[in-house]
Amino acid sequence: MNYSLPDYYRTMFLMRTFEDMVLKGGESRTIHGELHLGHGHEAIAAGMAGMLRKSDALVSTHRAHLHAIAKDVPLVPLFAELFERETGLCKGKGGHMHLFAPEYNFFCTGIVGASIPAALGYAYAAWVRERDDVSIGVTGDGGVNTGAFHESLNLAAIWKLPLIVLVENNRYAISVPIGQVVPTPTIAERSCAYNIPGMLVDGSDPEAVADTMKEALDHTRSGKGPVLIEATCLRMRAHWEGDLDLYRCKSEKEEFQSKDPLKLVREKMLTKSICNSEQLETIQNEVILELQNALEEACLGKLPEPSEAFTDVFVDTN
Amino acid sequence: MGDLFPSHTTASQLLAQTFDSEMERDNQIVLFGEDVGLMGGVWGHTRGLLRKYGERRVQDTPISEMGFIGMAVGAAQSGLRPIVDLMFSDFIGACLDQVYNAMAKNHYMSGGNVRVPVVVETAAGCIGAAAQHSQCLWGLFAHLPGMRVVVPSCPYDLKGLLIQSIESDDPVIFIEHKLLLLTKLGDIPFGGEVPTDRYSIPFGHAEIRKQGKDVTLVTLGHSVVQAWQAAEILASDGIEVELVDLRTVVPLDIKTVANSVKKTGRLLVVDEDYLSFGLSGEVVARVVENINTGELRKVQRLAVLDVPIPASLPLEQAVLPTKDKIVSAVHTMMSN
Repeated sequence: MNYSLPDYYRTMFLMRTFEDMVLKGGESRTIHGELHLGHGHEAIAAGMAGMLRKSDALVSTHRAHLHAIAKDVPLVPLFAELFERETGLCKGKGGHMHLFAPEYNFFCTGIVGASIPAALGYAYAAWVRERDDVSIGVTGDGGVNTGAFHESLNLAAIWKLPLIVLVENNRYAISVPIGQVVPTPTIAERSCAYNIPGMLVDGSDPEAVADTMKEALDHTRSGKGPVLIEATCLRMRAHWEGDLDLYRCKSEKEEFQSKDPLKLVREKMLTKSICNSEQLETIQNEVILELQNALEEACLGKLPEPSEAFTDVFVDTN
Repeated sequence: MGDLFPSHTTASQLLAQTFDSEMERDNQIVLFGEDVGLMGGVWGHTRGLLRKYGERRVQDTPISEMGFIGMAVGAAQSGLRPIVDLMFSDFIGACLDQVYNAMAKNHYMSGGNVRVPVVVETAAGCIGAAAQHSQCLWGLFAHLPGMRVVVPSCPYDLKGLLIQSIESDDPVIFIEHKLLLLTKLGDIPFGGEVPTDRYSIPFGHAEIRKQGKDVTLVTLGHSVVQAWQAAEILASDGIEVELVDLRTVVPLDIKTVANSVKKTGRLLVVDEDYLSFGLSGEVVARVVENINTGELRKVQRLAVLDVPIPASLPLEQAVLPTKDKIVSAVHTMMSN
């Protein structure tokens, strides 16, 4: 709680460097599967990071690594899962879109929009147990056009369940621009259909995200029902690694440099003399060392035995 | 032996009573779905539960199968034990993603880290409701890994298998035939004596309803009643049918079936689900894998012939594996 800008920067730099290391794993084929990376989304996850309790649930999407970090999922088993090890979070069975860390109340789904009904379930369970935990369902702007989005927000609203739906609006559902598939200027304004608060926030500014999240959490935790947050951001890489990204023009891609949330936070700290460049470098070096150690430890884990593929289908084995 | 439920009790009343006693036993059990609260379920099978347990544990939902089945998944992972009422099994189309991509897979995908003890209880089978409200679909659920698929044929099994389903830490699709729900305990030829005491029936144990030496007749759900009546007719013709009630599709007790086939040499599979790519073909394949060459002399399948279920009674009867068709199929198998 009470993150300062250097704290946000540290978290965001960790998230970016984590993703860069995963990207290298993909390029070297140490990771053989699909990857969806979150470059450009860091300020949203970092802004949320200090605000959540361990007992609050977070259900994320196919672009989930940053949210796992925000929910304090340990880096070594997280890396190990992405690098396909038996020591991974899910013994190598989930992979990067299906991360489950129940002790941190962190979960994912690879199906767009399906995170919200699952998050609704955690909100319902908190309500049944009369606990003031909150559940966050993350989706992208693509997910808002699923029936699951509507059904879940409607259910949460009629029963006043403690659900926050966080939409990371990066303007694209894979290749389809939001203006083609959403008829309203914002997604946040859909909240009026459910008679709940809708909040629009600049998702490149971690402090603004934190302020919005605090307001939403206060509302929801006090039993007043769900909130819809739309956080705008840029998807600096293609939808997945391997997508040629031919659908976005050059001028749009040039924005990635000027609107990179890490760059914006760095500039703000330097302009306001919150940090000097040596202090920033110290933060960065500490983070790089932490991540290198974590990845090294993760890759000591063995690849799973083929027989592992046939366990965990059922709890009861008889 | 303790007390029995009175013979005028309907199976849907028995279901309501079982939900009630289970919810009383375990306060982590919650129940929701369309019309299960105020109305008490379209079959009366949840009557009284809302009043007794309140709106936190019993909820009428909007018509949002995707939303509330997904909600059950999240709630189960959080430690609750949800029972979700999917009014008709046909409605799976509105929520299959949450059923097969989340409920059935999350335990596996998490490397065993999360458990998803959801019971989806749903009504199936033909009572004149035509193509979109009559399907069985257990073959569909069984094809998708990660779910127990339970199909009781009689009131005794309805109670015992439901308790087992609620106790299971795995997701269960619990399919009740509509004709069973409407049946009075005293009106069914087998399994109508139901103790008021609590008991459960383990999954994967087929029941031999009738012993016989001539033909092994394998089936499940309401077709067991049809097959029972057919077997009585065939007995008067001097043909002894061994009637095997599968009770659960996943897990499938192929051992009991194969042992019976070794004895009779003839296998007839009767299924109210669609014929192709389904349970009947699977049973035949597994029997063949589990017996020696020459032990199976005749095989036949009787199932819905790959058409949607039609509305008009003669058309509906034309596609269903009825008692008369079973009798005729067995005669054919015995004659050549």
